[in-house]
Amino acid sequence: MASASDRSYTRRDTVLFFVCVGLSVVALVTPTRIGLALADALRETALAPLVWLQARAEEGRTSRVRFREVTAQRDSSAYLAQGLPSLLAENERLRQLLSLRRRLSSSYVAAEVLHQSTATDGRTLLLSAGSSQGVSPFDPVVSPEGLIGVVLSTAERTSIAMTWAHPEFRVSAFTVTGNAAGVVAPSLSAVSGEGALEFRGVPYRDSVPPGSLVLSSGLGGVYPKGIPVGTVTGLVREQAGWERVYRLLPAANPGSVGHVLVLIAPPSSDLAAAFPSDSLLKAQRLDSLLRARLADSLAQAARDAAAARRDSLARVRRRAAPADSAAASATPAAPAPPPPAPVRGDSAR
Amino acid sequence: MMPTRASRIQVVLVLFLMLVLQFYVRPRLWGPRVSPDFLFLGLMLVALRSSPGIAALAGFLVGLAGDALTPARFGAGMLANTVVGYFASWGRAVFFADNILVNAAFVGVGLWVRDLLTLLLSGAGDRPLLAELTVYSPLEALATAAFALLVLLASRQWFSVRLEA
Repeated sequence: MASASDRSYTRRDTVLFFVCVGLSVVALVTPTRIGLALADALRETALAPLVWLQARAEEGRTSRVRFREVTAQRDSSAYLAQGLPSLLAENERLRQLLSLRRRLSSSYVAAEVLHQSTATDGRTLLLSAGSSQGVSPFDPVVSPEGLIGVVLSTAERTSIAMTWAHPEFRVSAFTVTGNAAGVVAPSLSAVSGEGALEFRGVPYRDSVPPGSLVLSSGLGGVYPKGIPVGTVTGLVREQAGWERVYRLLPAANPGSVGHVLVLIAPPSSDLAAAFPSDSLLKAQRLDSLLRARLADSLAQAARDAAAARRDSLARVRRRAAPADSAAASATPAAPAPPPPAPVRGDSAR
Repeated sequence: MMPTRASRIQVVLVLFLMLVLQFYVRPRLWGPRVSPDFLFLGLMLVALRSSPGIAALAGFLVGLAGDALTPARFGAGMLANTVVGYFASWGRAVFFADNILVNAAFVGVGLWVRDLLTLLLSGAGDRPLLAELTVYSPLEALATAAFALLVLLASRQWFSVRLEA
C-alpha cells in the first residue's frame, strides 16, 4: 500500500502534468499574432544566449564551407565586372531610347539560417538578423538559388521567416516566357519529404511545357519581380476545363539552406515609380494623346502646304498658258519662257 | 533512493553540456534534419532520473524553447514534449529495466513519438507527414539514440543504468 508521502508525490506529478498540458493547449489556441510576439520576446530574453551561440556556430560552419565557393565566385565576378561599365552605359542608353524607367535596386541584409531540431523546421526559419539590421515583416527572403519565403515576425536581433513550405505561403508568378501567369502555393500532397510547389490558376488555354522556369511577377507588392520560384515538372490536375495546375520543382530548398538574403526596402523608397498609379497612367495617356494630336496637326499642315503648292503651280501654269499661245501665234520661232521658280510649301501658306 | 547533491550537480553539468552541443556543435554537424537532437536527449535524461511531474515540466520548457525558435505552430512542441516527458518517466518506472541499450532505444522511440505528435498538432499534410515519419524522424532518432548510448556509457553511474543486458 502506498504511503501518504508517495500519494502526495503522485498527486504533485499529476497536477504538474495537467498544468503543463493546459498551458500548452492555451498556447495552441492562442491567436498566431500573440504566439509570434511571445516567441519574439523569449528569443530576445531567455533564449538570447543560446541563439547567439548558434549564430556563431552557423557563421563558423558556413564561412568554412563557403570559403572556396566565394573565392571562385569573386574571381568570376571580377572578370565579369571588367565589362560592366560599358554594359551599364549601353543599358542606360537603350532604356532612354525606349523611355523605360531606371530599374529598382533594393537593399538586402545577409543572415544565417539557424536550423532547429523540430520536425516543423523548414516551414519557418529562424534568421540571425532582426529589426536592428532593418529587417521588417513582409520582407522577401531569397537564396542564390531562388525564393525562400517572407519574413513573418521580427525581434531586435532575430526574425522568423515563413518559407514556401508553409501552408499559408502564396506568391504571384509567371513563366519566364511570359505565356502564363498564376499563383504559386505549396503542394500539401507532395510525394517527397522535401515538398513541392503548385502553379495554380493558369488559364486553361495556356499550356506550360515541363522545364519552364517560373518567376515571381511582382504583383501584390511583397516579392519583387523576377525571383526564380521553381521549374515546371508536370501537370497536376485540370479543373473543370477552366484552370490548369502544374507541379513545380522549387528553386531553393529551405531545409538545407544555410545563408539567405533578406531584401529590405529603404524607408524613403517610392515604389510608385516602378508601379505606375492610375493618375500616372492617365497622365501618360494624356501625353500620348497630345503627341498624337500634335502629329496629326503637323501632318495636316504638310497636307495643306502640298495642296497650296499644287494650287500655286496650277495658277502659274494657267497664267502662262494664254501668253504662250498668243506668242506662238505671233512669233512661232520665239524661245520658250523660263520655267517658273519653285514655290516652297511653307511660303505658299 | 534520493539523489545526492553531488550527483545532482553532475546531472546539471550533463544537461548544460547538452545545451552547448545543441546550439554550438549541432549546427556544425551534417544535415540539420538528421543530426542528433541533444535537447531532447537532455529531456530524456531528466526523465530517466526524475519523477513524471518534473519530466513533464522539463518537456514543457524544452517545447517552449523549440516553439520560440521555430513557431510554425506555437504550442505544438510544448504539448508534444510535455506528453513524451511525462510518459517517458512514468513508463521507465513501470516497464523498463535500467539497461543501457533499452534506455538508448527508449530515447529513439521517444523522439519519433515526439515528432509524430508535433506534426499532427501542427497540421502537416498527409504525405509530408508520412515522409517525415518514415525517413527523417527515424534517421534523427537513430542518431540521437546512438549518441544517447555514448552519453549513458560515459555517465552511467550518475544515471543509475546497468551495462549488462
